[in-house]
Amino acid sequence: MYQYTTFDRQFVHQRAAQFRDQLERNQRGELGDDEFRPLRLQNGWYIQRHAPMLRIAVPYGEIASRQLRQLARIAREYDRGYAHLTTRQNVQFNWIPLDKSADVMDLLAEVDMHGIQTSGNCIRNTTSDALAGIAPDEFVDPRPYCELLRQWSTLHPEFAFLPRKFKIAVSGAAEDRAATHWHDIGLHLYRDDDGHVGFRVLVGGGMGRTPMIGTVIREFLRWDHILVYIEAIVRVYNRYGRRDNMYKARIKILVKAEGQRFIDAVNDEYLAILSRDAEGEAQVIPQAELDRVAACFVTPAGVEARPVAGTGAPADAPPAFARWLERNVHGHKLSGYSAVTLSLKRVGQAPGDATDAQLDAAADLADRFSSGEARVTHDQNFMLPWVRTEELYALWQAAKAASYATPNVGLLTDMIACPGGDFCALANARSIPIANALIERYDDLDELYDIGDIDLHISGCINSCGHHHSGNIGILGVDKDGMEWYQVSLGGSDGSTLSGDSVPGKVIGPSFAADEVADVMEAVIDTYRAQRTAQSERFIDTVRRVGLDPFKTAANAVRRSTAQHSKVPA
Amino acid sequence: MKFIDPARDTWRLVGGEDGPMPSPSPARDRLLTLAQWHAVRETWPEGLNTGVVVPNDTDIETLEADLPKLALVVLQFPKWVDGRAYSQARLLRGRYRFKGHVRATGEVLVDMVLLLDRTGFDQAQLRGDQVLASAERALSFFPGYYQSDVAHPQKWPAAAQAEAKV
Repeated sequence: MYQYTTFDRQFVHQRAAQFRDQLERNQRGELGDDEFRPLRLQNGWYIQRHAPMLRIAVPYGEIASRQLRQLARIAREYDRGYAHLTTRQNVQFNWIPLDKSADVMDLLAEVDMHGIQTSGNCIRNTTSDALAGIAPDEFVDPRPYCELLRQWSTLHPEFAFLPRKFKIAVSGAAEDRAATHWHDIGLHLYRDDDGHVGFRVLVGGGMGRTPMIGTVIREFLRWDHILVYIEAIVRVYNRYGRRDNMYKARIKILVKAEGQRFIDAVNDEYLAILSRDAEGEAQVIPQAELDRVAACFVTPAGVEARPVAGTGAPADAPPAFARWLERNVHGHKLSGYSAVTLSLKRVGQAPGDATDAQLDAAADLADRFSSGEARVTHDQNFMLPWVRTEELYALWQAAKAASYATPNVGLLTDMIACPGGDFCALANARSIPIANALIERYDDLDELYDIGDIDLHISGCINSCGHHHSGNIGILGVDKDGMEWYQVSLGGSDGSTLSGDSVPGKVIGPSFAADEVADVMEAVIDTYRAQRTAQSERFIDTVRRVGLDPFKTAANAVRRSTAQHSKVPA
Repeated sequence: MKFIDPARDTWRLVGGEDGPMPSPSPARDRLLTLAQWHAVRETWPEGLNTGVVVPNDTDIETLEADLPKLALVVLQFPKWVDGRAYSQARLLRGRYRFKGHVRATGEVLVDMVLLLDRTGFDQAQLRGDQVLASAERALSFFPGYYQSDVAHPQKWPAAAQAEAKV
């Protein structure tokens, strides 16, 4: 993974010192709460329902065992003993008092971590494919480019106060595992017919109230112009994005309102930077600089292609191991290696949560089996990227002991869920009880495997942190008359070769009461099983083939509370 | 960064009884609104020390031809979290090579001065309640930056960080 330079390290420490200065000015009354707010947000500090929430950046999801141990320590000593992984590959804490925030930032800086631009109306932490650099279907390793983007966007002085937040995701593989179509900028790294490396650039994707898929603004942009081009996009957005209405301030609204005029403005700005600006040429990335950054992504010592030599399993290995191999173990670029998902979706814990002991256990597993490196995935799990195949059985046993071996990756219970109303001040409804009820109802592995590949995404409000729009099944919490309701949508997709193009799901009718959701889910799943042509037809394909009507009928049939309620929200 | 003390500032707006005078007469150290400047620029003599106040939703491109006549461009932050003037300043310096002063006014806070400095502002009029010592400290936290910028041009953005790995 990326090795920090002395400059990177000093920079993060000084960012912590700057934050401490701001906090102290706030505490002595020199900096009012309203004006401190955007500053703490740009360091990851929200004020939440119970306490501040801290969001820590994990650039493109790469995390080292020593960093996991430091997070475990922070969870233990400053929080209530757990952390939460997000869909944008970051890590959140929920219970750290603000007056301890500067101390926590210092602890993070000790291990090259920080909360820089994990919130606020600025360019957020860049995300990527959890399998970056190791995926068999990869065209180009996106990590060096992500790092160049991280550096460029970090404390960019012109773009610290944009109309709204701004998120970039990068994929370099055939399968899109980074939800690139749903980002303000989505980048697809690939080689053209002549072998030149470049980016397909998408702009204006996003969720929220107005879900939109990104528009391709450039089919192929030479790689070394990427910072120039992104600067052009963000500058046009900074100048012309709406600032009068925060619900219409994302770049997707500007792209939609202006259409071709937006595209022309970006392309004109791009050419103007190159042809006229004093600093224009300086933003074209020299090959030597890419090489320097790429060299920071050291393949761990001793890792090289090797003969495949089984999984180390005994002849009488339990069937559960075979299931784990099938679901949680992924192909690898290097022969003799596998990538392994440590599932954070299990009975009794909120999706994406890990306790301090589990964080330490992940660090131990990373050290023992994966050269000290782990990844945070878009699906809110950990992944170990450098596992020797003959150690898979040993890893399975160790992962089981740490509650990391649920063999459910890609299945119904491997759901995405936001923290919801239990924690989040924005939420209209709770996500975690819904998620837990579904995890409990579908704890039978035979049934889960029979249902097969499916993306279930749960958001506690329209801000869509749980990506309900892109779920094959999406659940959205809504509030009406002080009650929690849940809107169910079907047919959404994250966009990949597996589930087809990205598309938002369609709502199947008026909202359901909280106590109906598990039954609705069962009705929807049963309808799928009855309708599918063969077991190999996946849920998403059945929904696309037969449409929503059979699902609506089945879901409406299980209404109890809503059947008696006169004010069910749409 | 020069911090402006309004009490000692020599620039003067040209007011009238009902707001800005439509067509001010030429004089030194006049700070004109954009409308005033547009009314007089054809006849305005060369060599006068002249400034213009530019709203943050003005396309700064439209000022390009006038820049040789101007000694000061005042950019505005009606709200401090409205970052449009940073782009205006960057374009003034980087694209139009403006050599005069670029001043930040409006809701200018301590924690903006680093951004102002790096996008090409050389003057800032802090909001009245801001502490000057804190603003000066805010300029000094970082050993260098990842991007080339107006105040710290670099041949390649990351050149400053190209030390050996540690």
